[in-house]
Amino acid sequence: MGLSQWSQRDRLRAFRRLWPWLILLAGLGLVRLSKGAGFTDAFALLSRPFWPGSAQSEWIQTAVRLDDQSRLELLEKDNARLRGLLEIDQLSSGSRVQAAVISRMPSGWWQQLVLGKGALDGIAKDDAVLGPGGLIGRVQSVTPATARVRLLTAPGSRIGVWLPRTRQHGLLVGLGTARPQLQFLDKDVQVRPGDLVSTSPASTLLPPNLPVAVAQSINLRDVPAPTALVQLTAPPDAIDWVQVQVR
Amino acid sequence: MTRLHRQPICVASALLVPLLQLLAPNWLSLDGVGPSWAVLWLLPWALVDGPVSGAVAGAALGLVLDGLSIGEISQVPALVLMGWWWGRIGRRGSPIQRSFNIGLLAWIGALVLGLSLWLQLQLMESSAAFLQGWALHTTLSQALVTGLLAPLVGSWQLLIWRRRVPA
Repeated sequence: MGLSQWSQRDRLRAFRRLWPWLILLAGLGLVRLSKGAGFTDAFALLSRPFWPGSAQSEWIQTAVRLDDQSRLELLEKDNARLRGLLEIDQLSSGSRVQAAVISRMPSGWWQQLVLGKGALDGIAKDDAVLGPGGLIGRVQSVTPATARVRLLTAPGSRIGVWLPRTRQHGLLVGLGTARPQLQFLDKDVQVRPGDLVSTSPASTLLPPNLPVAVAQSINLRDVPAPTALVQLTAPPDAIDWVQVQVR
Repeated sequence: MTRLHRQPICVASALLVPLLQLLAPNWLSLDGVGPSWAVLWLLPWALVDGPVSGAVAGAALGLVLDGLSIGEISQVPALVLMGWWWGRIGRRGSPIQRSFNIGLLAWIGALVLGLSLWLQLQLMESSAAFLQGWALHTTLSQALVTGLLAPLVGSWQLLIWRRRVPA
């Protein structure tokens, strides 16, 4: 009896000595189960002052930009090669001429730009004119030193466009206002406000796949086919330099 | 002094019209629409130099401006008509001097010019409803800016040219 009383007291004492270790073991088990979340979070908090600075972040961003750029160049080359194989057009291989806008009439009766480069720099009638953001018009006439551009907003301006999301063709018609009208060729259109409008991938008159505008409001009840008002991605009233895609 | 069209410096002043048309100063526009510089120059010219000279000057200016702009619509018919009419007013009635009268004549001239362009646009390009709203807006804006500028620019031109061609 006495022996059993001693052994019970000893066991209790031994347990009291052991329970911190048991708690520690349970804690370690939790660490294991949580994949060391507490440790890594604590490490992150403590090591924050020693994290890589903004300079390193910029290096990485530059590297990413370079990577994107080189990938884009490779894709463009690949695209041009495939287009060549399909004999769609060779416009994308033409060079671009930078030209200053020397006269600007974005509104009024004649909506046009006059560029400071002309036939001497290889610019010809019907060349596409690009602003930062996308297509803004086509060359209407050239002199040796200037080129006159009919803006997409000008009344009478008509170009064929393409909606990449719905894969539908349309006709972009200038109305004189800042927002040209997109006239669909089909009656059944799935266009939504915010859809991108670009030049057709199979275009022979304009460089393919150039962003042109974004759909703003759609009139599904228009006859003979639905129409939409679009906002140009490159507003011509705020552009001082343009690029002319020469052929 | 001889008539205006025989004085080279007065004829050379017409070169300012295409230059200003190309310059298109933004700060002199109403909702993006600038004044009709041809109307502003032609009004005092025709008032001083008569109907034939006014019509010829209108035709010459119209041809130059048509050459500078894209599209098929022409300013020539309206400028010839207004040059002739203003020339007759200058010859027949008492001399136009008041700022209000000059502004009113310029306003009518710009309105007629805008309506002629609108009519041509409707015949040649399209009669879409959107186009009508834009044409009306452009016509009224241009007429208003031209009418407001005419008393400043036109009175000054009239004064100089009348001194060079005494009645």
